[in-house]
Amino acid sequence: MKIIKDKVAKLSFVALLITMTAAMFYAPTASAHGEKSQAAFMRMRTIHWFDLNWSKEEVPVNDTMTISGKFLVFAGWPETVDKPEVSFLNVGIPGPVFIRAGSWIGGQLVPRSVSLELGEVYEFKVLLKARRPGDWHVHSMMNVQGGGPIIGPGKWVTITGSMSEFVNPVTTLTGQTINLETYALDNVYFWHAVWFAIAFAWLLFWIKRPMFVPRHIAVSTGKADTLISAGDKKVGMVFAVGTMVIVAASMGATNEKYPVTTPLQAGLLRGMKTYQMPESTVSVKVDDATYRVPGRAMQMTLTITNNGDSPVRLGEFNTAGVRFLDPAVHEDETSYPDDLLAEEGLTVSDNSPLAPGETRTVEVTASDAAWEVYRLADLIYDPDSRFAGLLFFWDENGTRQMVTVDAPLIPSFI
Amino acid sequence: MSASQSAVRSRAEAVQVSRTFDWMILFTLFTAVLGGYHIHYMLTGGDWDFWTDWKDRRLWVTVAPIVSITFPAAVQACLWWRYRLPVGATLSVVALMIGEWINRYMNFWGWTYFPVNICFPSNLLPGAIVLDVILMLGNSMTLTAVVGGLAYGLLFYPGNWPVIAPLHVPVEYNGMMMTLADLQGYHYVRTGTPEYIRMVEKGTLRTFGKDVAPVSAFFSGFVSIIIYFLWHFFGRWFAKTDFIADDAS
Ligand SMILES: [Cu+2]
Repeated sequence: MKIIKDKVAKLSFVALLITMTAAMFYAPTASAHGEKSQAAFMRMRTIHWFDLNWSKEEVPVNDTMTISGKFLVFAGWPETVDKPEVSFLNVGIPGPVFIRAGSWIGGQLVPRSVSLELGEVYEFKVLLKARRPGDWHVHSMMNVQGGGPIIGPGKWVTITGSMSEFVNPVTTLTGQTINLETYALDNVYFWHAVWFAIAFAWLLFWIKRPMFVPRHIAVSTGKADTLISAGDKKVGMVFAVGTMVIVAASMGATNEKYPVTTPLQAGLLRGMKTYQMPESTVSVKVDDATYRVPGRAMQMTLTITNNGDSPVRLGEFNTAGVRFLDPAVHEDETSYPDDLLAEEGLTVSDNSPLAPGETRTVEVTASDAAWEVYRLADLIYDPDSRFAGLLFFWDENGTRQMVTVDAPLIPSFI
Repeated sequence: MSASQSAVRSRAEAVQVSRTFDWMILFTLFTAVLGGYHIHYMLTGGDWDFWTDWKDRRLWVTVAPIVSITFPAAVQACLWWRYRLPVGATLSVVALMIGEWINRYMNFWGWTYFPVNICFPSNLLPGAIVLDVILMLGNSMTLTAVVGGLAYGLLFYPGNWPVIAPLHVPVEYNGMMMTLADLQGYHYVRTGTPEYIRMVEKGTLRTFGKDVAPVSAFFSGFVSIIIYFLWHFFGRWFAKTDFIADDAS
């Protein structure tokens, strides 16, 4: 007897453990720090985020901040990733530490998925309302169907205050203002409690009598019919009819209480408004590009032609959100995240103003620890070892031009 | 203690031991079903059960009963044919929903901070109770599958409507109309669940106009009948004692 008891106890314990470990620990993905593990070519050749601005670095609970900027849907989108025909403008944060109070592409609200065109630039803005205190890495992010999440640059933002003070007031079309944070919660608990109570009553009705051993003996000796009495059947009828009556009555009462309801809304938004960058009058040809592994630097030989009417200088190279600047031409004033900003990371062999009509071949070096820290150097191990990025030129009036580059990259290990 | 000796010495002691057995078996069954059923339901019903903005009139109504009638059918097969206990479906669903509530409360809310009013589980209890009563009254697998399976599918949507209706109240948000449930999904950021993987209001039942939920429920009921048969047989097969060497008797 004792042995069997032990065995059953052991089995119960094992079952309990399996239960606990397997199912209950599932939680929706909260981490948003996949930025470094994402393949370098994904970050360099899909969505180019630029002109990013995080409006605040510290926000009290219930206050809002924005991430805004532009993104270029790269024309040389990799073959291995699905085209962004169904995409969703997201924000990379660890779960709902902010709520997304609004998000716009080209001024259009985008709570739904959108269709994006290759080679186009879009302007975006995400409005975030602070909910949970802490230091959070806040990324721009684009989910692409068949391509996964494409994470943009992230910046640390601190939320202060207390989550218990967070409110989320919303006014419905029926005129009530509710707090979506706790709305209808009592109703959820109430109905679940009601049904659990009914179910437990039914279980108890059977469990309170001797169960497995005597009933099994009765069934195996052909006396199964004696196990269900007429009274049991009556009680069963009461439960079944009662269940149906409660379902019907509660549904009717609900319809009376909420006469106006609509189905869930879904659907793809097409024809998003693009952002027109000023026509570029500079043309750039990449003669060659190498990545020097020991020096953590990328070297490009560029042949630049100025077809415009004012002299220009190269001021910035931007790839995968890492910005290499030539401080003599351009300095960042947006307090861009430090780890993604190489303020003096760009050197050009001859960066004197390039006169209109002139063509010049220059050596451009982009060096910074970010190549390693952000694992962009892993590009050389990618199946399609190409790099891509944005070059920004400025003329003497401060007018900016953007040129994209896309070329093979050769690693150099010495 | 030799094998020929009885473990108990009196009838009172036998009753007591049998009762102890009841609780141990019940506890084991309950936790095993909770674990297995919960995993099964998360893998098949998954997001439809996790989020209010997935609980639509078409796919949720169709999918949830079909994938959740499985364990109730199997456990019924064991408990009814071996013990004449008409609690298989209710026991399974109670176990599942307790597991779900623990998960949603501890992890979705306690760990990731999604408000409970976006991630509460669906209510499967009305269908389960009716399924048990039909098996008890009819003492027939076929009847339970046909009448019970259909009822299980049909009771699902109305059984959940009192809980989700408040979240289907429309709201105008920055020039777009959406339900409060849609707004929850938009507000409470899920980086791993982008909007496009949400499968709602899709399907080929559009010819029926506004009344898609009843049509979906009927369709779900019909498929539930088939799934019931299938899993009832699984249950019978698993409840066989052929696996155990027959030396105890
Ligand atoms: Cu991050």
